[in-house]
Amino acid sequence: MVIFRNDKHVFWQAFIFAVIIFGIGIYIGYWLENSRVSKISDFYLNSELELLDVKISNSILLGSMVDKNSCAIAVDENIKFADRIYEEAKILDRYEGASRISDKNIRLEHKKYDLLRTQFWVNLLEIKKQCNSSYHTVVYFYQYNNADVDKKNKQAVFSNLLKDLKESKGRDIMLIPISGDNNVSSVNFLMKKYNVSILPTVLIDEKIKVTELETAQELENIIYSSRVN
Amino acid sequence: MYILPFIYLSYMFISLYFLMLYFLIYRRHRKEIFQSPKLAKIYSVSVVIPAYNEEDCIEGTVHAVMKSTYPLQEVIVVNDGSKDRTAEIVRELMKRYKNLKLLDKKNSGKADSINQALKIAKGELFAVVDSDSYPAEEAIEKLVAYFSDEKVGAATCPILARNKNRFFERLQAIEYSAIAITRKLLEYIGAIYVTPGPLALYRKSALIKIGGFDSKNMTEDIEVTWHLTYAGYDRKMCLNTRVTTIVPDKFKTWFRQRRRWSMGGMQTIGKYRGSFLKRGMLGFFILPFFILSTFLGLLGLSIFAYLVIRNFISTYLFTKYSFAAGTAVLTLNELYITPTVLNYLGFALFFFGSIFTLLALYLMGENISKKENVFNVMFYLIIYLTVYPFIMISAIYSLIRRDLRW
Repeated sequence: MVIFRNDKHVFWQAFIFAVIIFGIGIYIGYWLENSRVSKISDFYLNSELELLDVKISNSILLGSMVDKNSCAIAVDENIKFADRIYEEAKILDRYEGASRISDKNIRLEHKKYDLLRTQFWVNLLEIKKQCNSSYHTVVYFYQYNNADVDKKNKQAVFSNLLKDLKESKGRDIMLIPISGDNNVSSVNFLMKKYNVSILPTVLIDEKIKVTELETAQELENIIYSSRVN
Repeated sequence: MYILPFIYLSYMFISLYFLMLYFLIYRRHRKEIFQSPKLAKIYSVSVVIPAYNEEDCIEGTVHAVMKSTYPLQEVIVVNDGSKDRTAEIVRELMKRYKNLKLLDKKNSGKADSINQALKIAKGELFAVVDSDSYPAEEAIEKLVAYFSDEKVGAATCPILARNKNRFFERLQAIEYSAIAITRKLLEYIGAIYVTPGPLALYRKSALIKIGGFDSKNMTEDIEVTWHLTYAGYDRKMCLNTRVTTIVPDKFKTWFRQRRRWSMGGMQTIGKYRGSFLKRGMLGFFILPFFILSTFLGLLGLSIFAYLVIRNFISTYLFTKYSFAAGTAVLTLNELYITPTVLNYLGFALFFFGSIFTLLALYLMGENISKKENVFNVMFYLIIYLTVYPFIMISAIYSLIRRDLRW
């Protein structure tokens, strides 16, 4: 067997080159995913600040005297905030789907968002109580970890259904998606309080639970009948 | 399934390693890649053409061989029990060529036909030419020059497609060019693993020493090369000559041919498995390379099948639930593509693969600036090569069933 002069070195040289190119690829991938996580972190920080702002505004508006005007302003602020975190949830979803290396970081961001949404929901409950508001809170509890293919698709359709509903009803509905299996104590407590044990579940106005897919019209009927009940 | 990204990354790394290996060897030898040794020692050469039902092409092959610039001691056509006019045509040709001989025998397969010819061949070197292949006039002369080195047991040259009119034939032409360059690059690390049937020249004493061709193997050319490697002989590849062959024009014929190659490859792996990580390049490169190619191909297909089935089930369930809920089956958000790191690495690998294939075509004298060629290369890399794992599955199935038909 004849290997040409120095050709025996090509084996490890090729290995080094492959490691370098591969390493650069992985580094770029890691950087890209981290920049997405940073973007989400920035969104989160802004949302956190905004929620704090909304909460303080609510306290000022509703603290001393609850009138129709201050209620309308408070509700309006909450709706805007709801829309914002709803849009951010869509971006988070997309980035999560494309995350391959630094999966852990983005999952942590998801957990933080769950807490933020829960906090927002609690805030909405207070306003609702104080202002006797007409909007409906639609809290969507879904399975985040290890959902099987059937559940994943069912949840995807649930999500589309609620999205359609939110888009058609706008200010009437406060849509709050929260993962129900992310081991967040406050979420667990609220789920227990409202007796939510199946994922996915849509909790309407803290009264009605929908666990099976309905048509948009049926769901709309359920939502609007909840106030009557 | 979190293991999938890891598998993808391993897959990409191994492919990248081999591409880098080829690029590095090319970079070192780019100036001498088309050089071949000068004829220093004269050997007598016997040429054998095994033929089974080759009435359409045997005459052309004999003419092409007889045009050789190197004097041939004899050209033996082995008629392997043909049911057509093969023997009759050869007898007619014998009137014209005095050194043409016909060995008429019952059908016993290609390897046995070559072995029968080996027994009666008088030359010191023994060339095998497929009955549908046309060696260039200087091909045998150029190959003989390598045998001045006593360690050389076999030599071969690029096999190029003779029929390139149809798209499918042009894809095979790309493949043959890429194989030719790869084989030459492997020569520099002593890792040529096949001296293929269309034209290979062997040292007869080496063939006799290893007991000739294995008639039980479906790719006797792969087996004999491994056997020569095992016995310590070098194999050479001459890039500055060529042999042209007729490539299959139908998918079915092509699939069968490739299945046979895969089956033969696996038979050879089985036969030499004991040499794994032993005995120089055979155990440390050729055998692992073959096993890895087979394993990666099957793994790739399994992942592909898993993803296709998963997506199919997922699409079915999503559509079913969407209909039940009366929501859109396709939303704008689902069309929004966010690339992953695997996409980027896959693209990089595809880029390097394309560069290597285009380089191979360029070196083999193809005009790579033609838009059509670029499209063909893309199609070859994306579609054509992905059929191979399916061939592998079919080959394994045939081997299990012991269906050793050609």
